[in-house]
Amino acid sequence: MILGLHLLAFVLYATAWVLQLQGFRGGRQPGISGVRVVGGGLAVHAAGLLLYALSYRSLPLVGLGPASSSLALFISLFVLAASVRTDLRAAGLFLLPLVLLLLGEAVVVGIEPTGRQIAFRGPWFVLHVSAIFIGFAGLAAASAASIMYVFQFRALKRKTFGSVFGFFPALDSLDRLNKVGLAVGFPALSVGLLAGWSWTLTFGRGLALDNPGTILGIVTWAAYLVAIAARSRPGPRGERAAVISAVAFLVTLVAFLALRITARETGFFL
Amino acid sequence: MDDATLALVGLSHHTAPIELRERVYVDAASVRDTVREVMASTAIHECVVLSTCNRTEFYLHAADPASAEAVAIDAVAARTDMGPGEVEAFLYHRYGHDAVHHLFRVAGGLDSLVVGEAEILGQVGDAYEMGLSLPDSVGPVLHRLFQSAQAVGGAVRSETSLGRGAASIPSAAVRLAAKVFGSLEGKSAMVVGAGEMGVTTLRCLLSEGISDVLVANRTLDRAKETVAQIGGRAISLEDVWGTISDVDIVVTSTSAAEPVVTHDRLESSRGQAGSPLVVLDIALPRDVEPGVGGLPGVFLYNIDDLQKVVGATEEARRAEAAPAETLVTDHATRFWRWYRSREVGPLIRGLRAHGEEIRLAELERLLVGLDGLSESDRERIEAATRRLLNKLLHPSTVALRQAAADPNAIGFIDRLSAELRLATGSGQAQGATEDEIESSGPADGSADAENEETNEARG
Repeated sequence: MILGLHLLAFVLYATAWVLQLQGFRGGRQPGISGVRVVGGGLAVHAAGLLLYALSYRSLPLVGLGPASSSLALFISLFVLAASVRTDLRAAGLFLLPLVLLLLGEAVVVGIEPTGRQIAFRGPWFVLHVSAIFIGFAGLAAASAASIMYVFQFRALKRKTFGSVFGFFPALDSLDRLNKVGLAVGFPALSVGLLAGWSWTLTFGRGLALDNPGTILGIVTWAAYLVAIAARSRPGPRGERAAVISAVAFLVTLVAFLALRITARETGFFL
Repeated sequence: MDDATLALVGLSHHTAPIELRERVYVDAASVRDTVREVMASTAIHECVVLSTCNRTEFYLHAADPASAEAVAIDAVAARTDMGPGEVEAFLYHRYGHDAVHHLFRVAGGLDSLVVGEAEILGQVGDAYEMGLSLPDSVGPVLHRLFQSAQAVGGAVRSETSLGRGAASIPSAAVRLAAKVFGSLEGKSAMVVGAGEMGVTTLRCLLSEGISDVLVANRTLDRAKETVAQIGGRAISLEDVWGTISDVDIVVTSTSAAEPVVTHDRLESSRGQAGSPLVVLDIALPRDVEPGVGGLPGVFLYNIDDLQKVVGATEEARRAEAAPAETLVTDHATRFWRWYRSREVGPLIRGLRAHGEEIRLAELERLLVGLDGLSESDRERIEAATRRLLNKLLHPSTVALRQAAADPNAIGFIDRLSAELRLATGSGQAQGATEDEIESSGPADGSADAENEETNEARG
């Protein structure tokens, strides 16, 4: 049943993405139908994770499958929240593939608890992982906005009035999404990192700098700190902030892939 | 049967030059006299005049289309210095289904100069409202025709993408500014040069929520005149540089031979300004140095760029024209089915009355020789003849209704109507009044069929 709900959510998210692609091809802003499909996918997805929590009496935060699914849920929440503004519905074009990747991975590796379930529990751990996931989701939204900003900025400057011009939101809307994504994501990531540190202290350990998750968290935090600093400099900030946010996303992605490839243990989020 | 039909006589940007369209244009003040003049002809039952800068059309419901057409041509010619024969070269004529289809295309914006423009739908509504305000101008046929046309126009806009995008230079300017700022609510704009195009663009921006407006002109009086019309603040050209860093949108439309906005002046005026500036140069020759577009945070568009946006919209609209045409054709067919079924209603009633007359006569002749029959047997025989008549007439009724929807079957219906008149020796098939038609049930004419089918079921 849990897997079935995840598969259904995957299909709905994929359908929403196809609708986005169609809109992009036609150079038209996405309609309400795509938002409804995302909403349906989100409801089914949440039901799947709720069923997991009820079935295993544990939050879906530990283990690659459950954790990927939870992160996907947070990102799709951002997609839906952004869609409240008609002109920001297009954000799904970049965020939904991320949701599909994470959900697809969860489905492939299995959405089941791992043997480490007992070790990874307690309020500090829940706060640590939840905050980190909200942080990543917020930063993903900020990054999607920044990438779209760069494309739209180029289209407007170069006067190419094609699909990007028609489908992507206005620069101001994208700048606001970037700002909101950073405003939610960065503090949440900071809280998550601090909670993780506090959680390790309960074991009598310090900051686990040899842990891939810790490294990724710190790299992401630093990259986005630079992006926030870029926003506060005087002069036309939109393009600069967008470019630096996009670079921060790339840095995070590269760090994630590098750590994933070199990780000694498998079965964790990293 | 009623021989009246729908007729359209008109001219538009497809057939007539602007000079002629301007002369033929019927404004709100003179439409009453024009309609009265046309309605003076006994051949015309109903009349609506649709007149815009791109078209003037007379929609007529007339007993004699040829006479009605001549009256409309005279009305057009009277507004020019041409005779009816000369003006006819610029006119088009449509009848019946084609007239309906034409009006629906017009209401849907498919016949407009800028395909998909929305203004025409309001103009169709205004023409209808004007007709309603004139005595006897709008009857049941044009009432339904114009109501349907407005519904079709709405459906074209809501069910297709035909109306999307920017289809004029001012709307393209708004669209570009909106792609930078999102909402234009609360933004500020400055127009440099109070020419017609600049002011039109400014009006478009104002309709999108621009709150702060500056009008700069070489002569301050002209700027003040413009401000008196649209609001805002008038400044001289010398004051532009002191205020340009405070505005979000600049529209330039002067007739200056040299650039008014230069790279160096704008760069020094904006300094480290953080907010973007959209510069819309709609002047020819250009008012803004091309290098201005390279300044950080400045988005510069000239008339060619705006035309590109309009071109992209037109291309998208052409792609959307096919589904809109299908929608219009469907609605026109539906209307025509109603119109024809409304016409065959009296014919069907005449046919049934004729049959009933024969039935009663034959029944009477039969019962004369059957005096010993009980009352119940008489009732049974009467019911049997009624059933027989209904069963015989049912296929003809259905076939007539189907034929009514087929423009190619008009001749057949006319012949049948004439035969029936000959058979009854009266004008029975023509005898239905408008009130009878209107009270016979739903306007799609289904009531007649329903009544007849109910009778058949009872039989």
